[in-house]
Amino acid sequence: MDTNKSRRDFLKKMSAASLSAAATTIPGFSFLSSCSPEVQKMASTADTVILLWMAGGMAHTETFDPKAYVPFEKGVESKRVLSTFPKKPTVVDDLYFSEGLEGIGSVMDKGAIIRSYKSADLGHILHTRHQYHWHTCYEPPQSVQAPHIGSWIAKELGPANPVIPPFIAMGQRFTMGESEELKAFHSAGFLGTEYGPFLIPDPSSGLESVRPPKGMSLKRFEARYKLYKELANKSEVMEQGSDYQRESLMRSMEQSYRLLNSPEAKVFDLSEEPKEVYDTYNTGRFGLGCLLAKRLAMNGGRFISVSTEYEPFLGWDTHENGHTRLKKMKALIDRPIAQLVKDLDETGHLDRTLIILASEFSRDAIMEGRPGKKVKDQVNQPDIIEHEKHYGMHRHFTDGSSILMWGGGVKKGLVYGKTADERPCSSIENPVVIDEVHQSVYHALGVHPETHYEIEGRPFYTTPDGKGKPILDLFGNPMKSSKENIA
Amino acid sequence: METANWILQLLGRLHPLLVHFPIGLLVVALLLETRTIGGKRKGLREGINWMVYIGAGFAVFSALFGWFLKTQDEYSGDLVDNHQYTGIATAVFALITAIVLRRALKKAIINLKAYRFMLFVTVVLLTIAGHLGANLTHGEDYLTAILPSNKEVYSNKESGVLLSELKGEAKLSELQKDKLSLEVRGLFAHKCYQCHSENKQKGELILENKTGVFKGGKSGLAVVPGKPEESEIYKRIILPANNKKVMPTKGKLLTKDEVALVKLWIKEGAHWSDKAVKVFPEAELALVKPELPKVQEINHPIDKLVDVYFDKNNIDWKDVINDRAFIRRAYMDVIGLLPEPNVVNSFINDSNPNKREELVDTLLSDNQNYTQHWLSFWNDLLRNDYYSVGGKKQITHWLYNSLVKNKSYDQIVTELVNPVRGSEGFIQGVKWRGVVNASQRTEMQAAQNIGQSLMGVNVKCASCHNSFISNLTLDQAYGFATIFSDSLLELNRCDKPIGKMAKANFLYPELGSVEGETVKDRLLKLSEVMVQRDNGRLYRTITNRFWDRLMGRGIVEPLDEMDNAPWDAKVLDWLSVDFIDSGSNLKHLIKSIMTSKVYQLPMVNYKKQEDLKAKYVFKGPVTRRISAEQFSDAVSQIIAPLYPQVAFNPNGDDIKAIRIWHLEQELGRVVLPEPGKRYFRKSFNVSKETINKGEVLISVDNSYILYLNGKKILQNENWKVVDKIDVTRYLKSGKNTIAIIGENNGAIANPAGILFALKLDYENGKSMLLKSDTSWVSSRELPEGNWVAVKYDDSSWSKVRNYSTRNFKNWGQLLDFTFKPHTEKFARASLVKQHSFMKALGRPSREIVTTSREDQATLLQALELTNGEFFNGVLEEGAQSWLKKYGDDSDTIVINLYNKALNREPSNEEKTMILNILGEHPKQEQLQDVFWSVLMSPEFQFIN
Repeated sequence: MDTNKSRRDFLKKMSAASLSAAATTIPGFSFLSSCSPEVQKMASTADTVILLWMAGGMAHTETFDPKAYVPFEKGVESKRVLSTFPKKPTVVDDLYFSEGLEGIGSVMDKGAIIRSYKSADLGHILHTRHQYHWHTCYEPPQSVQAPHIGSWIAKELGPANPVIPPFIAMGQRFTMGESEELKAFHSAGFLGTEYGPFLIPDPSSGLESVRPPKGMSLKRFEARYKLYKELANKSEVMEQGSDYQRESLMRSMEQSYRLLNSPEAKVFDLSEEPKEVYDTYNTGRFGLGCLLAKRLAMNGGRFISVSTEYEPFLGWDTHENGHTRLKKMKALIDRPIAQLVKDLDETGHLDRTLIILASEFSRDAIMEGRPGKKVKDQVNQPDIIEHEKHYGMHRHFTDGSSILMWGGGVKKGLVYGKTADERPCSSIENPVVIDEVHQSVYHALGVHPETHYEIEGRPFYTTPDGKGKPILDLFGNPMKSSKENIA
Repeated sequence: METANWILQLLGRLHPLLVHFPIGLLVVALLLETRTIGGKRKGLREGINWMVYIGAGFAVFSALFGWFLKTQDEYSGDLVDNHQYTGIATAVFALITAIVLRRALKKAIINLKAYRFMLFVTVVLLTIAGHLGANLTHGEDYLTAILPSNKEVYSNKESGVLLSELKGEAKLSELQKDKLSLEVRGLFAHKCYQCHSENKQKGELILENKTGVFKGGKSGLAVVPGKPEESEIYKRIILPANNKKVMPTKGKLLTKDEVALVKLWIKEGAHWSDKAVKVFPEAELALVKPELPKVQEINHPIDKLVDVYFDKNNIDWKDVINDRAFIRRAYMDVIGLLPEPNVVNSFINDSNPNKREELVDTLLSDNQNYTQHWLSFWNDLLRNDYYSVGGKKQITHWLYNSLVKNKSYDQIVTELVNPVRGSEGFIQGVKWRGVVNASQRTEMQAAQNIGQSLMGVNVKCASCHNSFISNLTLDQAYGFATIFSDSLLELNRCDKPIGKMAKANFLYPELGSVEGETVKDRLLKLSEVMVQRDNGRLYRTITNRFWDRLMGRGIVEPLDEMDNAPWDAKVLDWLSVDFIDSGSNLKHLIKSIMTSKVYQLPMVNYKKQEDLKAKYVFKGPVTRRISAEQFSDAVSQIIAPLYPQVAFNPNGDDIKAIRIWHLEQELGRVVLPEPGKRYFRKSFNVSKETINKGEVLISVDNSYILYLNGKKILQNENWKVVDKIDVTRYLKSGKNTIAIIGENNGAIANPAGILFALKLDYENGKSMLLKSDTSWVSSRELPEGNWVAVKYDDSSWSKVRNYSTRNFKNWGQLLDFTFKPHTEKFARASLVKQHSFMKALGRPSREIVTTSREDQATLLQALELTNGEFFNGVLEEGAQSWLKKYGDDSDTIVINLYNKALNREPSNEEKTMILNILGEHPKQEQLQDVFWSVLMSPEFQFIN
């Protein structure tokens, strides 16, 4: 499209097409204005996205951006501790990861790392607010419900395979986490539940969500649907003529029946995997989530998120015992993620699958929030560490963290941005904000940067005011890793 | 054949390329030809001739190839046909032109007149054909879309009218000056605000307010009163269209009248009227009861009005629905439940001519059920849910009571706006920890919510900048928000302070002042200003919402944009005034609508959702999908209870006990319990007095075996069920011990808990209540020895953990967890905490105001209904209990199911289809599937 076209013109055109999308507070999805076809026909480098979500705040200095290692000893000053693990080399020259992530390190020649992600400055740190911000690109609260990035993608691109829901979220249970007020990061917002996540809390029972109900044979399932169809078609109500609401019910029921009766549901069956493969991935629910993500990506998944379940003070949310807990968390993620990248690479699927690993913010032993913005401490971290419990990154740090990406057109072996080596370990080179991350994902998928809908009479863009720009430096011709260059 | 096809196709696709030759050649030929008229420039002759010959040749080929393209690539449509005809005509005329030219040249005396005429015609045809062709490739609006006239919908004939009115006047009156000023400001709004508003200040010029207009911009004074020639505005609007500096740069230039009007205004001293300019259509605030038309044989006022409307729109009245359909509709609409089969039958057999009205009355007087149905509507509207967060308190208790008592709407609004105990939550707004956008401060949330929910106006846009969609300004939004603020508010435009303080005002200042010393003063004033007859908007808004609830579509749509035109203003206004006259009695409003013939018409079907939006014509009620709550309750009524526990218990007689479980920790942090068995003990003393009765209530997630003093008493595997058992005979004086084996099911760590209560009544009237609490002890491993015995030493066991705390809160209040008898068989869905099943069926999470739910089904919903574990479990339970109740007689079951679920007898055909599945003696599985098929049917899923 004509890039010189002013935004106003674009907006006008869009809103003309939208008629009265503002018709209801939560408009019926069919009534949302859709982008004109010329806009949708954009070049893309990816068809599928896998988001590996490190819920709870993953310390960059303890994982993918290690700093000076200070071993534990009684009496060590908190302020001296930058990393509690030694750093280890990765397959990419001059790129070091923290100990315990050697698996992921070994596949970095197939991906890129952004080391300069800056979370929003939302004042007092609240996980759910930052998670909402990461997932929707909008700072909560919002006066309309902002959709999750997965819902935007589901809406714009639809399913890649008609029997696989376009937005699948694994690992996070509906009932877990902080108060419901912020559950919005789970939802399709104003796009409507049609584009909401298909939740699979436990990947090992993922198959159950796409098969006939437990204990129901296929034969019985078919007979049941047949009876339903017959009864519905024979009923007086249907003789009154077609009605869009009834049609939508009948259509959805049929879609659901087809999906549940489809042989492709086997994609969700982890028992189809050879035992060695299953065991390699099986570090717990997260690992099996990666395995299922792999199978989905290979068979037409669109947006798949795998989350280490967020629960206050658990997982990556280390308010104490940071060092000990991170050992466990690393063991949980390292092997399955490395295997996921390798497996998709071997089959060639990585070319069109964009894998992203991210967290809402980072952590630090001293600083809560970001430099220059004092916010209330939420963690009681002593100045002198006497007990191993206090050894680790326990405060919430928002000025620098890491995002990893593989495949989907992302340069290989790229290290983008930088954080300071001394505290505060803030982003000091090419700082990246969430709008850019989202636009980069949309860029890879060929979703127009100014995609928007009119909601309550105002245009609502994928990124606030449609201003976000993709980080084009992330993409491009595969940059061979230095090792390959030598070879 | 196939080879030929692709060649033709290829040639066809060369058409777009080829057409440029005749276009170029013939057009240039005509151009050059005009230069030779009168015998001039003879040197051109030979060249022109060749151009015409070659052009004609190409035209013929183009037409031919075009025909290939059409047939081979299967183009069709009017546009294609027209292009084809003109194209062929062009080719024919071009050929004739060439022949005429050739003939003319052969003659001794050259006469080119006929040829020139033909050439001219050819080029005209060519132009048309070419244009149509371009439309085909680029789209029909390719050219016209960029014409300024097509962008601008504003056309102002008023200017001319006003101008002619004022021109003759020697001196303008104040009123005329006002009119002139407003007209000019309206002109600014439509022609200039795009660039020169507070939102966008191009050239540092703001034409939106007095200060801006008289301050001018970068280019100098915009307006010099009395001197149009020195005023930048005037100078710029009179420039010719091609001048770079002409204004406006976007859209059409000002008309002559408009320019004259601006000139007149400046010349007359550029008077500035303080009255607001209304750029967007705005509904009148005032409400006048329309006079009812005199229509014979129609009694109900709504019907009289609709009769006139129907007449005007050529719509015939249809017959009202039968009693069976009516009672079902009425039940669902008033109390949200299905009528019992015997009630339906006696209603049908009742010969009382007033029975429909009486039924509505009876239902409306069922206060509890009416409340438990309409509660969902109010919860959505007032974004109230069963939790409190960030200062946003729930108002459930107040709301429930208000509905049970049928408080007047005036009182409800008064108490929402100027809170009493329990209703504070509505205007309180969520106080988010951390930094939030200025437009989301709690005071602004109050303004937005009151605007949307009660007044049907969008304040959200204006709370960030002057609205693009209504007349509301940033000033007004902040003025409104100031009412709720205990300090002065500074205006923020797009989250940036602009150094201006707000002055308290209501959105519609004409209704009265809301200024006051304290928040309390202002709230009192606000409530008085809002709740008054003159504020017709308040009553129209709620009337319209109720109409939508009962009729499937509002009289004004969207429901939150009450400035939009109603399909019939009289119907809305009559109902609204009637509502006020009833003492703003909500039940009266429901009754007014439901007793009309209009409500009792058959549902109107619509093929597309769009048909309900633009150009909607009312023909009758619109099919409505039953809500998540209605569906859940109906299933609870006829199959098996969906929800045993509530988040809000209107009875308030439940025993406050906590769920306890073995404390599970990981590195010092409490985690969810892993699946498996855990062991619990609690010892207590019974005094020597004689025990009259000892009773236990117990429910364990997921299952338990209960021992008392070493004896096994009870076990159960369904946590939704509260077991109630008399344990008098197991008790003894002195030390007693409760021991429980609890088991948590599942594959991953998940909530588990014991809920327990023991009530002891002594003969002397004293009593004792023992509940599950953190004094109980537990063990992870199976203890050695007789651990259920009283004398077992549990001193090494650890204290249990309260798993009902905020982070682990997973249970509501079980209705059955009470020693008192109660009548509820299941928890009404409206009282239940948000649940994934209802969420899938469209119950909103109520973080923000929701005034209409999605009306279309989704795949995720269908999946939840088709294979969701939760719903499937309910069907299973239901099938079991039906078999117990009706035995295995298929006939009885089918008849009962149809009567309960659909309020009618099954047809023979339906019966046969179902019996095919059930057989003579149904099994649980088959029955379950029959339930499902009937519950999924459109007849059940919609209010018909």
